[in-house]
Amino acid sequence: MQVISRPTIHVNSDPSQHGPGSLSVGCLGPDLLACLRRSVRPGEVLKSIFRVTVAQASLPEDTGLPDVSGRYQLLGDEVQFFPHFPFERDMKYRFSFDPRSIGEILTAEPFDLEFLIPSEQVECPLTEVGHIFPSSDCLPENLLRFYVCFSNPMQRGLALEQVSLLDSDAQPVADALYRAPLELWDRSMQRLTVLLDPGRLKRRVGPNVALGPPLKAGQRYTLEVGSGMTDMYGRLLHMPLQKHFIAGEPVRKHVSTDTWTILPPAKGRREALALSFPAPLDWALLFHTITIRSTDGSIIEGQVGVDQSETLWRFIPASPWTEAEYYVCVGSSLEDVCGNTITGAFDRSLRKGPRLVAEGEAASLTFRLV
Amino acid sequence: MRDQAVSSGHSRRDVLRFVAASAVGLALSDAVAAAPDAAPAPRGVSGSLRSAGALTFGSGDVLFVGDIAGAKIHAFALRDSDLTPQSGVELGNFHNFEGRDLVVGLDQKIAALLGTTTDKIVINDLAVHEPTQQIFFSVERGRGTEVIPAIVKVNHGRLEILELNNIPHSQISIPNEPDSRAMLEFEPQQTYAITDLKYYKGEVFVSGITNQRFASTVYRIPYPFNSNMETCTVEIWHPVHGEFETRAPIIRHLIRELNGEPYLFGVYGCTPLVRFPLSALKAGAHVRGDVIGELGYGANPLDMLIFTSPADSKDYLLVTIDTRSASQIAVSDLATAPPGPTGGSIDFGPGGLGRTQRALPIKAEHIAILNAKWAILIWRHPKTTHRLDLSTLALPYFFERKDGMSEMNWPNGPDPFHYGEHRREIDSVGHL
Repeated sequence: MQVISRPTIHVNSDPSQHGPGSLSVGCLGPDLLACLRRSVRPGEVLKSIFRVTVAQASLPEDTGLPDVSGRYQLLGDEVQFFPHFPFERDMKYRFSFDPRSIGEILTAEPFDLEFLIPSEQVECPLTEVGHIFPSSDCLPENLLRFYVCFSNPMQRGLALEQVSLLDSDAQPVADALYRAPLELWDRSMQRLTVLLDPGRLKRRVGPNVALGPPLKAGQRYTLEVGSGMTDMYGRLLHMPLQKHFIAGEPVRKHVSTDTWTILPPAKGRREALALSFPAPLDWALLFHTITIRSTDGSIIEGQVGVDQSETLWRFIPASPWTEAEYYVCVGSSLEDVCGNTITGAFDRSLRKGPRLVAEGEAASLTFRLV
Repeated sequence: MRDQAVSSGHSRRDVLRFVAASAVGLALSDAVAAAPDAAPAPRGVSGSLRSAGALTFGSGDVLFVGDIAGAKIHAFALRDSDLTPQSGVELGNFHNFEGRDLVVGLDQKIAALLGTTTDKIVINDLAVHEPTQQIFFSVERGRGTEVIPAIVKVNHGRLEILELNNIPHSQISIPNEPDSRAMLEFEPQQTYAITDLKYYKGEVFVSGITNQRFASTVYRIPYPFNSNMETCTVEIWHPVHGEFETRAPIIRHLIRELNGEPYLFGVYGCTPLVRFPLSALKAGAHVRGDVIGELGYGANPLDMLIFTSPADSKDYLLVTIDTRSASQIAVSDLATAPPGPTGGSIDFGPGGLGRTQRALPIKAEHIAILNAKWAILIWRHPKTTHRLDLSTLALPYFFERKDGMSEMNWPNGPDPFHYGEHRREIDSVGHL
């Protein structure tokens, strides 16, 4: 009686590496093993007998999709396949075993088998929109941008479809949001920047002349983030989020540090220094455009917080305040919610004549400890 | 990951789901555990690349790779075993402007080779190794923070991974790369940290942007790499924008000697063609380039190369552009073209050599010259909506006859160009 060999397959995952790691095939049968050991070019022979392909690829097989690139080894009585690039989770692969290609009569039978390695169980809570900035529910007519902050890292590609600006009748406001060719995510993929069309904000340029500003003072609007956004684990949002607001008068002047109030901390403690602004400033920029320096110019380390609808900036130093006097240094890239900077308004006359770009100097304020 | 042993038995095409668990020891057989070196290191075949962008060959089979994520230029000195002469590969019927598809479904095949699907593949650049006429691509798998770079090559129509981990390699860091969090209005600044690189007489010329005030930069890097890198900043008067530009980078460039003097020709977005004498591109210099052509507003250059026309044996500059026909300009005009005026009001052009450019019917995501008669291109096939192909295209008209419908295609149709007489003349890569 002839004994039929029944190879077994293990998919091996090594969590210390980038992703699932290798495939091993055992129980090959003595005649196949002997044949493989005799082979002059075992790598080539293994490649023709044990094939790994992407099972969900879209080209029909007869157009010659290549096998998954990898390295084969005969180790003991097992064949190992190490993909050159880690197996992807949730990707369906096909393992094909066909010993007939080596031209010897063997007892093993060919077979195909599909496998996939599912995503790791995601234990973190469902993703939701944590906050939309600016926080205020009354925003200037010439608002430049929103920040949509998610509780987990997200995937690209759905913002255009899922983020919309609606009018008071819940109808989309046409051409109000800028359709960025590349979605504007931060490095952590948790913060999406949504711009209103700058061409409609800037007066007297083409889109503004043709369509007017995207928002109109006195009207009610809703920025809606649909639950179809997917997080990095492939999950939909827990629920959609709507931010309702009313458009107010436009702001078309530069950000003046003269109007800020400094609330100085007490000497010898780690009390917060606070800056209070008459109107909201850009939430994201507030975190890295204002620095505190000592009189010798060195930067004071500490933690920044933004509060009261982005009209209050707090700084808690890493160690207690020791000197009598410090500087608040404001970078020229700080903007308010309309894109106005400390060097000029977003919507201002074009520079006249040919001259090299001069970047505005940063503003500096001084405060004394109480 | 807990492994499940699966007996093949007669259960075919079972879809197995493996449940998540942790023990590595369980996963590996004794044979493997006894041979720890057997497992490849993570990113093994990607070598020290963190990303794979602009590609070019230098002399002596050296492949240069721009690596934006790693802020480095890498040099891989390919060995004979890494290169395969492509003799015998059929390129098409040159007389009749009929190219051939070298790889149908290039993106899908690269995806399969890398164990994934096309939505997770980006082909960033291609380069031809002239002595073997072998084609190389820089590719990235994945999105977000999990990108895995790879260099893929074509060998007689089949795709192969260039295994970088065993190739003699050197690298040099690019200074002052943009902060990874710094944004332009629509995308991260890092996207443009390395826009192009070309090798010329012992130096690699790299264009891109830095975190400096005059961000637009050209690096001259001696190869073999040493610490004598020269960095200079460049600016132009951009006629379409009516302003000086010191931050917008050169998108594509090349180097060419004219009347005994070498120049770097660069093309910018929206689309000035600019000339810089190499002698001016010195360490610490801030150089204003001569705008010698405005090729058309609202367009982005894709590739820039020089080819010799088999029709008149003259050299031509070719710039492929995303939203317009490709632009052809005689090389003899590049040295003599007067610089456009600096200053003045917005001028949508075309201007300078843009007025006399010839429009060529090229619709390529990437293009390169393969040999004296043929170019190769990656393009989206017009009769499919989803597939990228790698195909040949005959010089110097860059015209593909078999994709067009015309009277000449009918049985017994007219034959004003004598296609019938040349029907059997099929080109292939000769003995190399």
